[in-house]
Amino acid sequence: MNSRALRRVGLMAGVATTAAIVLSGCAGSSNPSPSESEGEQNFEGVELTLATFNDFGYTDELLAEFTEETGIKVVHNKAATSNDARANFFQKLGKTGLADVEAVEVDWFTEMMKYSDLVAPVPEDLKGRWLDWKEQAATDANGNLVAYGTDIGPQAVCFRADLFEEAGLPTDREEVAKLFPTWDAFFDIADEYVAKTGKPFIDSANSVLQGLVNQLETAYEKPDGTIVATENPDIRAAYDTVVDRAVPISAYAGQWSEDWFASMASGEYAAMLCPPWMHGIISGNAPDITDWDVADAFPEGGGNWGGSYLVVPANGANVAAAQKLADWLTSPETQIKAFNSAGTFPSQPDAQSSPDLTGFVNEYFNDAPTGEIGINRANAITVSTYKGEKYFQFHDALQNAVTRVFDGVEDKETAWNTWVTEVSAF
Amino acid sequence: MTTTATRPATRPTKKDDGTRQPRVISFSQKLSKWDLKFSPYLYISPFFIMFAIVGLFPIGYTAVISFMDWDLVRNSGEFIGIDQYVWILTQPHFWTALRNTFSIFLLSSVPQLILAIFIAAVLDRNIRARTFWRMSVLLPFVVAPVAVGLIFTAIFADNFGLVNTWLNGIGIDGIPWHKDPLASHVAIATMVNYRWTGYNTLILLAAMQAVNRDFYEAATVDGAGPVRQFFSITLPSLKPTLIFVIITSTIGGLQIFDEPRVFDQFGRGGAGQQWLTIALYLYDIGWGQWNFGRAAAMAWILFVIILLIGLINLFITRTLVRDEGLHRELTKRQARALGKAAKKNVKEEASR
Amino acid sequence: MSTLETTPATLTVAEEGIPNAKARRRGSRTIKIRGARPGWVTYGILTVVFLTGVFPLYWSFIIGSGDASSLRRPFSWVPGGNFWDNAMAVMNNEAVNFWPALWNSIYSSFLIAAAVVITSTLAGWAFAKLRFLGGPALLVFVVATMAVPQQLGVVPLYILFSELGWTGQIGAIIIPALTSAFGVFWMTQYLRQAVPDELIEAARVDGASMIRTFWTVGVTAARPAAAMLFLFTFVGAWNNFFWPFIVLDRQNPTLPVALSLLQSNYFVDYSIVLAGVILATIPLLLLFIFAGKQLVSGIMAGAVKG
Repeated sequence: MNSRALRRVGLMAGVATTAAIVLSGCAGSSNPSPSESEGEQNFEGVELTLATFNDFGYTDELLAEFTEETGIKVVHNKAATSNDARANFFQKLGKTGLADVEAVEVDWFTEMMKYSDLVAPVPEDLKGRWLDWKEQAATDANGNLVAYGTDIGPQAVCFRADLFEEAGLPTDREEVAKLFPTWDAFFDIADEYVAKTGKPFIDSANSVLQGLVNQLETAYEKPDGTIVATENPDIRAAYDTVVDRAVPISAYAGQWSEDWFASMASGEYAAMLCPPWMHGIISGNAPDITDWDVADAFPEGGGNWGGSYLVVPANGANVAAAQKLADWLTSPETQIKAFNSAGTFPSQPDAQSSPDLTGFVNEYFNDAPTGEIGINRANAITVSTYKGEKYFQFHDALQNAVTRVFDGVEDKETAWNTWVTEVSAF
Repeated sequence: MTTTATRPATRPTKKDDGTRQPRVISFSQKLSKWDLKFSPYLYISPFFIMFAIVGLFPIGYTAVISFMDWDLVRNSGEFIGIDQYVWILTQPHFWTALRNTFSIFLLSSVPQLILAIFIAAVLDRNIRARTFWRMSVLLPFVVAPVAVGLIFTAIFADNFGLVNTWLNGIGIDGIPWHKDPLASHVAIATMVNYRWTGYNTLILLAAMQAVNRDFYEAATVDGAGPVRQFFSITLPSLKPTLIFVIITSTIGGLQIFDEPRVFDQFGRGGAGQQWLTIALYLYDIGWGQWNFGRAAAMAWILFVIILLIGLINLFITRTLVRDEGLHRELTKRQARALGKAAKKNVKEEASR
Repeated sequence: MSTLETTPATLTVAEEGIPNAKARRRGSRTIKIRGARPGWVTYGILTVVFLTGVFPLYWSFIIGSGDASSLRRPFSWVPGGNFWDNAMAVMNNEAVNFWPALWNSIYSSFLIAAAVVITSTLAGWAFAKLRFLGGPALLVFVVATMAVPQQLGVVPLYILFSELGWTGQIGAIIIPALTSAFGVFWMTQYLRQAVPDELIEAARVDGASMIRTFWTVGVTAARPAAAMLFLFTFVGAWNNFFWPFIVLDRQNPTLPVALSLLQSNYFVDYSIVLAGVILATIPLLLLFIFAGKQLVSGIMAGAVKG
């Protein structure tokens, strides 16, 4: 009896509420934004959404400064990972639902360039604000600069001073910096370390692959669209180097695994190729280790790993205001502030003269002058690899090949041939 | 046993004078006849209406774009016929994924089913603190995927994982969970079983609860032990539910996606595609390479595979689980025969 | 002495009780009619099941009561002291929007589960117990739709909802989930098995209309299955991540989407993430208790005997 009455009430409640929800869903979302008059730069009362992922260093205080200056409110949405942000971005590009300013990571930036007509171009007067290779990558075939650079990842070499000492290597960062002028020198030191201690020298073989490929001008595709991946002798050479010299001295094939994180603290490896954003990861995962340090060196000078851009979707409701926000966020001054919060290294040359950057020392890394190191390494970057639409597909597949060799699943030639077959199907 | 559901006010009866009474059907009878005929459609309409709106459109969309080279962002594409299907079927990765999917499916469904039936039978008994024990089997199902992912990665990590550390401790080499295909399948199947066994257990338990307790009492009186009762009473009564569990396990098992995805940090099935399942490959082609037309084609290929295997499993279940002794429902044939006999009777009576 | 197993299906309902009555009056021989109280083997098995099942929750609690490095340290069986602090950090985290997310999750999951149970019971009853043209074919169709993989469904759904202008609304989460082929199939099979045809006939003979029969016989019989379906659907809706992530925004999230923001840094503090996991699981555990009590045996036994 009781249950029956209950069910009846429940049924009616359910139907009523469902109907209510359906009807309320019909009411569109209201987002008041007073239209700004053309030509005037007064955006008082406009509300913009900003979408980022990971940590760009855009704290609430920082955004509040912007609001104070311009009267524009900023709502900051964060996606948990770059992958989530990517899925969200491409799902909604060209339709509704994107934020007014969207962050795009360099990994999927080339995929976005295919749709460069769907984002608003950067105003002419801002050209030249960023490092030329950073800008170059964001310029489409028609010469439009379509994205605002945020940070870059100028790589240096992080090392464990205590483990270096055990192997009889120098421990002072200036001395260590002299050890790695070329990749050959790097591998020679690595071999020495492995011979002396029996432990791996660096964390992963694929980090070396990444370092090598990012120093090539042409990797897998040419600017005119032809695919050269399998014919490019540089790619074959990079693969050979990694398999022959990097695999024997690496702890893992790839990064970001459970074991890899654990090894930062366990001392399984003594060195890593690290851009500035890796510093926070090391310090967070190995809080009790005191011997990590950074050497101002990188084989063949420099290489970039990572970095992001901001884009303004062209069909947004407040494009002009959004461009103002993107401009402000990627100005040298703001980028420095972001760097202080999150370690996102500025891609703007003007920022490099700021004392905040030149004087920055990282306590965890034994007070290494990571700001200056970053500047030096960034300026040592001479080559900007052309990355076409399918760059990351090719690169992933090649990394898989290296992993297969590392794991002993396939031998060197077979893995290469498998890669060639896979890639020909793209 | 008659199957008439309406109460006829009049029916052709033999009257003393041998004439037949004409059938007069009142309005309420007409209403009740309509009730019988049309209300089933009313009952299923809430489901089908909603489904037509939010279920059919995605299915139709997927079907259409599977024949096209589809651009997600521009929401347009060109028709290329069955090229996508051909491409998929000629990919070595596809066949590897198929092998992996079947392997994981078998390694997960079979133990799961056996374990679920067993645990449900244990829970079906007259235990104290029933709700507590019963709900505890569902705990693995509710813990958020992020936690489960973290735990199992910690257990199955190649170098420092729990299992390998323990094996090394007793002098055995660690198992290459992320290198060897079969090892990876076992690990993933373990994750799947862990998550879903409780779910299936409760489904079977609900069905077991519906079995009339009198049957068990009578069987106990007859001296049948719990095992005999289980095979002779429980299992046959569960047949519809067993069919349900097997079909849903088949469908779910061939679509396994979440567990292989979190098995390593990249989520793409391993450097040598050791644990790439069809659903994961589909996802990678659609959301990784942005080739939605191709992914849609793969979805339909998977659909066909699932239908085939589902039918096979249905056939196996029907043959294996016999309905001895508790035939409460007439089979179609028997019903038809009874109906025919009843009609014949009525005719005979009427013509007398 | 029971004649049950050999009696043909034409046994009338009233007679089913008789063999037991005979048995009970047996006198000197004490026969255990009710299932014997299970022994320690049974409880042993149950304990093992419980321990394996509760481990992830316990593990999450341990790490969630530690600090940022707890995940990388060797596992300790004793909880740290920080759980409450971490939980507060989750609830007060500005990006996470915890309380609105919690409320959104609760009422959207509830509505979805209720709607699924209602539509599935109705449809299941029709497929299981009513004979109508096209019935079997439609049921096969329903089951076949479960075989279409869901990974691509987000794309057309998003197109549909953005055309309707419903993105960002909780309705966009609820509407697509209101029906479930799984639910229909489950209720069909369950009702097929759990409702004796004799009951329906008895009701019809008494003059009950279709809807009345459904209400008195079907709904009552379906209660345990409906409770399970409600529970499963609720949990599924509660933990769903991808679609809510795509279609909602930060101001109006559901709980899994909101909590995923705790992982949005280069370095993730898993003690806070897992504290969030515990918080998100508590409402589900409460639901367990309610649903579990619905798993009652012999719901139909009384009805048959009467």
